[in-house]
Amino acid sequence: MTQLEYLNIGKPQPRIDGMAKATGEAKYAGDLKLPRMRIGTLLGCPHPHARILNIDVSKALTLPGVKAVATGMDIRGQKYGPFRSRRDETGLALHKARYIGDPVAAVAATDEDAALEAVEQIWVEYEELPAVFDAEEAMREGAPLIHEEYRTNICAHRGFNFGDIEEGFKASFHVREDRFSSQGLSHGALEPRAALARFDASGKLTLWTGTQSPYNVRQDLSLVLGLSASRIRIVKPFVGGGFGGKGGLSAHEIAASLLAVKTRQPVRIHLTREEEISITRLRHPMSIYVKTGVKKDGTIAAQYVKCIANGGAYASTSLMVAYNSGLTFLIPYRISNFSYDGYVIYTNRPVSGPMRGHGANQPRFAVECQLDMIAADMGLDPSELRLRNATQKGDTSVNGLVFNSCELSRAIQTATRVSGWNQKRGRKEANRGIGMACGGFVCGARAGSHTASSSFIQVDEAGGVVLSSGSSDIGQGSDTTLAQIAAEELGLSPSDVSVISGDTETTPIDPGTFSSRVTFYAGNATLQAALEVKKLLAEIAAMYLEAPAEDLEFKDHKVFARGVPEKAIPFSKLAQMAVGFGHGRSIIGKGQWAPQNTQFPDKNTQYGNVSGAYSFSAQVAEVEVDTQTGEVKLIKVTIADDCGQVINLLGAEGQAEGSVSMGQGHALLENILFGDRGQIMNPSFLEYKIPTALDMVDVSFHEVGSPDPCGPFGAKEIGEGLIISTVPAIINAIYDAVGVRIKELPVRREKILEGLSKS
Amino acid sequence: MRASRLGQRLFMSGRRIWLHVNDEEYEVEIEPHKTLLEVLREEFDLTGAKEGCGLGSCGACTVLVEGEPILSCLTLAVDVQNKPIVTIEGLFKEGHPHPLQRSFVEEGAIQCGYCTPGMILSAKALLDERENPSPNEIQEALSGNLCRCTGYNKIVKAVQSAMRRPS
Repeated sequence: MTQLEYLNIGKPQPRIDGMAKATGEAKYAGDLKLPRMRIGTLLGCPHPHARILNIDVSKALTLPGVKAVATGMDIRGQKYGPFRSRRDETGLALHKARYIGDPVAAVAATDEDAALEAVEQIWVEYEELPAVFDAEEAMREGAPLIHEEYRTNICAHRGFNFGDIEEGFKASFHVREDRFSSQGLSHGALEPRAALARFDASGKLTLWTGTQSPYNVRQDLSLVLGLSASRIRIVKPFVGGGFGGKGGLSAHEIAASLLAVKTRQPVRIHLTREEEISITRLRHPMSIYVKTGVKKDGTIAAQYVKCIANGGAYASTSLMVAYNSGLTFLIPYRISNFSYDGYVIYTNRPVSGPMRGHGANQPRFAVECQLDMIAADMGLDPSELRLRNATQKGDTSVNGLVFNSCELSRAIQTATRVSGWNQKRGRKEANRGIGMACGGFVCGARAGSHTASSSFIQVDEAGGVVLSSGSSDIGQGSDTTLAQIAAEELGLSPSDVSVISGDTETTPIDPGTFSSRVTFYAGNATLQAALEVKKLLAEIAAMYLEAPAEDLEFKDHKVFARGVPEKAIPFSKLAQMAVGFGHGRSIIGKGQWAPQNTQFPDKNTQYGNVSGAYSFSAQVAEVEVDTQTGEVKLIKVTIADDCGQVINLLGAEGQAEGSVSMGQGHALLENILFGDRGQIMNPSFLEYKIPTALDMVDVSFHEVGSPDPCGPFGAKEIGEGLIISTVPAIINAIYDAVGVRIKELPVRREKILEGLSKS
Repeated sequence: MRASRLGQRLFMSGRRIWLHVNDEEYEVEIEPHKTLLEVLREEFDLTGAKEGCGLGSCGACTVLVEGEPILSCLTLAVDVQNKPIVTIEGLFKEGHPHPLQRSFVEEGAIQCGYCTPGMILSAKALLDERENPSPNEIQEALSGNLCRCTGYNKIVKAVQSAMRRPS
């Protein structure tokens, strides 16, 4: 779709940190070492719900090698959490523990063996309390309260009412009501979380941590420790994947910090996989009730949705999940009468939090499956039904979302054409099926606190360019994307740009990596910084080229007046003249950016344009079902994606392929199993199965976007929006293959066989 | 590194062993219950091998011993004395990356990079053994190395392109 000629934008760009990672040189938090470093480890509560009567650490402290023990009593500040209105965590439990594994204490010792031995010698006296594990049970009157101060286990409730659903259902030709459910999932980033804390003689705390949001971690750590944020520095080394899991402040970061303060020695804590799965965050298990009415032509007349999610013991980002689960309905399709109730419920289970798609995945699965069921009821082609409802450019949704760019119709048409939809649909080959689903996603929802991204760019006297961005590359490749953006504007190659990112002391403020916001926000901030640098350099170049500064072009490492490329100054020469002996100036550009057209959703009505742009996509999945064993094999996924102007084609394809793989896991393989005391029964990769190389799916990726007016070079998001439609596309393909409708995730073989025996 | 807890205090005394790592011989004193992964990371500062699970189920700790990919989190260091060990750091020779390292970068086979060292070493063992493996054989050979970012497509592509690249 590229209309303009770019040097770097839209091209496949190998990542700038690729060789550091390929050679093992890249250091992750758990690889870092400091002199006199101590190793920390956590102690978890063995009960699902218990009052902590006493913690006796005296024996542990006498063991050889043990340097310090920290408990909830050491936390002097207030509780923390991503939402000001619901700060309910202390990291190390204070007075009460709320799930099996809830950290209650931590030890620092000279080595890991000593630390592990010491945690077993911490004697905690508990008074067990009645516990509740099921969300709908926890909602009932009289259920044990997880957090007494809120007087209810309803952690979050968001309601939307737009148009008139009563009238809408009355005017409907066909109405369906269905219940769907989605399981708990683990992010499965290959790097378990790790952090290294140092408290120096000046009273400053430095925490190197594998995080998605250094600035947010600093803010919350400041609250918990009662230490001014200006005395805390958070540094993000290389991060081994996040997918939402490494977003907020975590118990091990608090524990390492407390122990470093106590011992005045550096303390590192590296979670085990078991801890990573059990005591960080999970995707919300959710029940979704959808009632949809359509007119005779298939257009949606009314929709009512109720979502009930199990939030586990602490709020994390559940307030946002309760909103996002409703929001997702109003992005890809035009719905004028819509009503929604979304609940996230506290229970005595491990904590649910943000994970790629952030509350959109579960309801998207429900509604995309139900649309197919409606299409089947009415004898319509599912792709045609979607086309008739598709959001169009220029639309404003009933809840105020403004769609300045949208190519969903083109995405549906492309996906059907390229995948061979018409030739393959309707079981043309035995036990093979094809299914479709659509989706749309925000490009960074308006955050309640700090929301803008910022960048600095400095040019040195040799023409070297250093970009400093507060954003976090956690593996998705944002450092490379930002380098491409800066390089494009300055007429350089991405490899000419050094990127420093994710450090609260050396990079400017940025909320971090979540809500699929980095390219859109930090990309624009970087573009702005690059434009300022360009302006400063152009003023100087203009004197030598005898042309107005605004007529100068920066291209191929040179600067010249438009139309006169033969009379050019090399970029490095210009830098030397500007910074070095010629003019002696500082060439520094700064950018800070947030979209102007967004609002926080209204407290009462939930009306408001929460994002500066929205991505759209259509996906077609092809599966083969073994009718003897019930096994489903995902063969191919075709994606037509409107992510605006692609910046890095290699990165975009990587996000698409990774999303398909994670969606495949969600639909077919992964399932966090909870025991009768709410404990996780499969906290390892042996039992919690993520896709392997043998599960690899053929992914056919097609860009169908047009540049968004607000995005940097017209770019939108691609990190989160795609996974949400992979799951329903697979489920719809299973139906096409064997006529079995799955409404509970993950797909289990016995469900397929049971369905087959009925048909 | 919970997997190393067995016998933790019983063998406190160190033991001198010889390890042959990345073409060099070292004498180290270690506790006998230490895994190869712990020794490589703690004694040699070779942190390219990662711990992703500690149970031998993710492959992030893969290194080559006598050319074979092994899970260093399940291998005791004392068991690989005097056997040639190659870690990811040993593949980058005299400033020259191995063809697999180059193709992984160029094909976009790396995202977060945490699985990359193990993945490249498993691929190297395969290519050292077979000249022209099929895509399916590549998938098979890498099936013990988990990757959560890429969906494996670009990893398989990178191995194929390294096959065509002169070393």
